[in-house]
Amino acid sequence: MPAIQIESFRKSYGDVTAVGDLSLSVAEGELFGLLGPNGAGKTTTMETLTGQLVPDGGEISVLGVDPVAHPTRVRERVGILPEKESPPSFMTPREYFEFVGAVRDLASETVDERIERWADRLGFAAKLDTMATDLSRGQQQKVMIAGAFLHEPALVFIDEPLANLDPIVQERVKRFLRDYRDAGNTVVLTTHDVDVAAELCSRVGIVYEGGLVADVRPPDLPGEETLLDVFLDRVDATVDGVAGDA
Amino acid sequence: MPDGRTRRVFAAMLREEWRLHGRLFRGSHFALFPVLVAFVTAGAAGGVVWTGTAPETVYAGLHGLAVVFGLHTGSIGFVGRDAIDDLLGDLTLLVFSARTLPLSQSRLLGVFVVKDLVYYALLFLLPMSLGTATAVAAVGGFPGVASLVGTTALLWATLTCAFVLGMGATLAGLGLTGRGLPGRAVFGAVLAAGAAAWATGVDIAAYTPYGVFLAPTGPRIAATGVAVAAVSLVGAATFDPTARRPARTVGPTFRRWRRRLGDPVATKTLLDVHRSSGGFAKVLFSAGVLLGVTVGLTDLAGRITGVAPSAGISLGAMLGLSGFTTYNWLTQSDDVDAYRALPLSVASLFTGKLRAFLLLGPVVGLAVYAPAVVWRGGPVGEAIAGAALLVGVACYIFGTTVYLTGFSPNEFLFDTALFAVFSLAMVVPLVPVLVVGFALAPVSPALLAAIGLGSAVLGLIGIALYRRAIPKWTRRYRQD
Repeated sequence: MPAIQIESFRKSYGDVTAVGDLSLSVAEGELFGLLGPNGAGKTTTMETLTGQLVPDGGEISVLGVDPVAHPTRVRERVGILPEKESPPSFMTPREYFEFVGAVRDLASETVDERIERWADRLGFAAKLDTMATDLSRGQQQKVMIAGAFLHEPALVFIDEPLANLDPIVQERVKRFLRDYRDAGNTVVLTTHDVDVAAELCSRVGIVYEGGLVADVRPPDLPGEETLLDVFLDRVDATVDGVAGDA
Repeated sequence: MPDGRTRRVFAAMLREEWRLHGRLFRGSHFALFPVLVAFVTAGAAGGVVWTGTAPETVYAGLHGLAVVFGLHTGSIGFVGRDAIDDLLGDLTLLVFSARTLPLSQSRLLGVFVVKDLVYYALLFLLPMSLGTATAVAAVGGFPGVASLVGTTALLWATLTCAFVLGMGATLAGLGLTGRGLPGRAVFGAVLAAGAAAWATGVDIAAYTPYGVFLAPTGPRIAATGVAVAAVSLVGAATFDPTARRPARTVGPTFRRWRRRLGDPVATKTLLDVHRSSGGFAKVLFSAGVLLGVTVGLTDLAGRITGVAPSAGISLGAMLGLSGFTTYNWLTQSDDVDAYRALPLSVASLFTGKLRAFLLLGPVVGLAVYAPAVVWRGGPVGEAIAGAALLVGVACYIFGTTVYLTGFSPNEFLFDTALFAVFSLAMVVPLVPVLVVGFALAPVSPALLAAIGLGSAVLGLIGIALYRRAIPKWTRRYRQD
């Protein structure tokens, strides 16, 4: 059974079509990249897969659960790193993890042990008792990443996970994501950064104007062709300016 | 800012404010807001005067409202971008553009405050003045066009002064308290002097904008002008918009509180209130403002009519309104988006807010009510009925607010239709109760029993509205 199965998914906001007709399947153990320019429908897709939005049409299954009918059940089983969200302003990172642990019914000892591990991995141990509103954007991002993985889910959705992180922490996160996938877990990474997608993902779906325009395995690209070449070709754009109607 | 930049920034900020309200009001609805304000104030003022309340009481209440309005308005520039994002979503206002443009933060804030003054004086205070003066004239006998125009103009001027006094007080309070111990000492001394003057019977109101409205004599105008100027100058001289606080480190509290409260969302909500500016004291302060307004109005009404209003009923009804401000504080630091990554249904979020409200709302209201009712005196029966009324009104206003606005009680400020529905929902049960409290004291046992029963019904309506709100907002939040 695939980790994610999408058939003919559609979603509009008023007259604006965010996702036109998207069909996609992600196998268990894949590090799948959802790549596309700004406004391509990536975030809408991710929010629908995690039960935050109701689609206009189509069939969706996440770990065998319908997120439209059972949004909370899906969110119990997956981890989510939203692009824009930051930890609650008036909680410390330690308290935020305790809050996440309480909502996810994790034992206190488990939470404490994982807090220490994540603080050590991403280097925010000295900030564990600092109010989140006083943390830098980078520190807040580290806390959100740790929060998404705190319950060690079999499937995680991460939206631009490397934003605001320094190069050292970026490398640590990349290494962690590869290890996580190698342990048999599934990762769906949403990004508009072609280099990140090419470096990390075993498979990349390119979305453009609300539809899937390419399904690529970067390691299997022929000859000198790069993921950037495929991306520019399929989204109808050049680095010198927009081509065609786009 | 040379080369006319101040003027251009001022114009751009006015346009920005209009567009912000236009977006929040869903476009053209906002153009109707001043008309609605005029009609609502006319209806409320006319109704209250028609039922026997003196016009002076209405005008006093209106000036009090303008001061409170001033205290809140303009603070947007001082609370920081995170709080603005929590309140209004992902917004970048011109007042924050000092980071990216060659404009000083102090000058930007100065222009922002003046913009607020012009904007709200025209769109809110002018229709309030027109509505109230017209309604009072209509009920009391039409005095002629020239007199009505004169009263409206004077009321508009004094309400604007009251608004400036409130804004200046916000600035001066923030400025002085941010200047360490000496600043706080000066701030405390000013408050103590005011309290001492009031306690020794000095007629402070005579030297406020309200006093000028009642009798625009030279000494009163001069005293009010000096007070408004002094507060504004102290604010401008002491407030430092570029000051940055150090990073705050606190001991872990969440787990300890959650062990007592059970619900993680309720725990987080109360922690937010506790740690955001003002702590739990701000909830108490909001109820204290309502207490001050009620005491002022009942004193004035008693002096004018010669009949002392019922302390229990008037305080119970008015302090029940603190349910709105309390819910506002409970939703100030988060929204539904903040929980989207977690396995929490919208229903469980509302449950958390309800639990936090039940722990804080009625308790704070009663904590202010109990000493106030002892201080003001009155029959025990009225005190008990007033306490029941407070809890009933608080639950009613909570349910109504949740049903109409979900997690965003501030929506009322930006949506004409919602504001109208909410105003109607408050006026229908509260006006009859306030008329009883103000005009029919001492209240008969039969009326007290009716108020007790009505309080229970109000509370039940509030709970029913809360329950109906959950499916409504679950659908709404998942469609957007």
